[in-house]
Amino acid sequence: MADQPPAITSGASSSLDPEIRQLREKLAEAYRLVALGQLVTGVVHEINNPIGSIVSNNEVSLRALSSLRQKLDAARLAGEAPPQKAIDLVDTLLSLAAVDKIACERISGIVRTLKTFSRVEERDLRLVRAGDLLRDAAKLVDCQYRRRIELQLFVAELPEIECYPQLLSQVLLNLLVNAGQAIEGEGRITVRAAQVIGSEPAAIEISIEDTGKGIAPELRPRIFEAGFTTKPIGVGTGLGLALSRKLIEESHGGRIWFTSEVGRGTTFYIRLPVRQTRPPAT
Amino acid sequence: MSETKAPRILLVDDEEMVLTSIRAYLSLETEYEILAHTQPEDALRRLDEGPIDVVVTDYLMPRVTGLQLLAEAKKKQPEAARVLLTGHADKQSAIQAINDVGLYQYLEKPWDNAQLLLVINGAIERTRLLRGLAEKVEELDAAHGQLKEAQRRLIRAFL
Repeated sequence: MADQPPAITSGASSSLDPEIRQLREKLAEAYRLVALGQLVTGVVHEINNPIGSIVSNNEVSLRALSSLRQKLDAARLAGEAPPQKAIDLVDTLLSLAAVDKIACERISGIVRTLKTFSRVEERDLRLVRAGDLLRDAAKLVDCQYRRRIELQLFVAELPEIECYPQLLSQVLLNLLVNAGQAIEGEGRITVRAAQVIGSEPAAIEISIEDTGKGIAPELRPRIFEAGFTTKPIGVGTGLGLALSRKLIEESHGGRIWFTSEVGRGTTFYIRLPVRQTRPPAT
Repeated sequence: MSETKAPRILLVDDEEMVLTSIRAYLSLETEYEILAHTQPEDALRRLDEGPIDVVVTDYLMPRVTGLQLLAEAKKKQPEAARVLLTGHADKQSAIQAINDVGLYQYLEKPWDNAQLLLVINGAIERTRLLRGLAEKVEELDAAHGQLKEAQRRLIRAFL
């Protein structure tokens, strides 16, 4: 029973006690919400600016348009060319419309990304572009950390991979949040993804490298243990990496490992088969 | 005296879109001179170049936070009113801002234009009153000095 993957991936093939399965589902669900919750302040901040701009621009546009109308009417009645003030107002309105477009695109982008991570119904094995999952996770994490952490993404041309997108996204988000939390002050997170050359069966490898404080050698063997955390209460649950390993190894038949150097940073690696050749439950 | 010039507002936000929106609104509604910067370092240099009436800044920016910027602004131009306009709404940073940098007002994003203008107008009035007061105190000091000098000369003339 201990070798069963999380119940949310096991589908009809699971022989788990329904009650335990339900509990596991709830646990995985709760953890997903915790991971998202850690990003809420960043997302709120990121959405507040464009919303503030749109609301303000709308108000200014309405006033400017009515003022413009009056000035143009007055000029027409007097048989004169449009006054300079009217031309200036048109320029202002054009720049505000351009800002509104960018602002709306920003909000739509964030909401789209949030949807990817909050979707609960998508629990089936699917063919997806891993690069898209990585970019979405990175975008969300960037909301939270972009003012102090530079996030670099190097994603090569990847084959579509067969995976549980929801679960894989959760792992990526978890590793990226961990990387952000490991960096005190300013730093850099570098995400790389490429197909593993010569691998049989075909596989891709993703690495998430941070310039954070690193993991002390004595803590390294315990990093993937459930309930183990070095973070303060309210920051770490001690479940993220334990669950990540379960989702990568048991649900996807992949591997997850890390290298770390104290004071220089940590890199997590994930290797995933391009096609699932076995049922998720082992 | 600075009162005769149009009030100068220093706007700082790392997001160009926020600056564009606020600048457009203030330009439409007022005759204020708006100095807008996405780089806090540029804004700090502006403070060395002439009197500013109000500094309105974002809180979370790369390299320099709004609080650090306002602390510097306080050193450079103590009378200039300091306003924090932030999407990072937590009480802790608000309290810290009020205590550490003598904040005039704390506004949250998304902002309300009418409220922002009200705050900016109040801030301009405060700054100008403070500057006016400082000028009067200086004049008083000078007059007091002259009086003392006259008194000294008078005493010397009689001794």
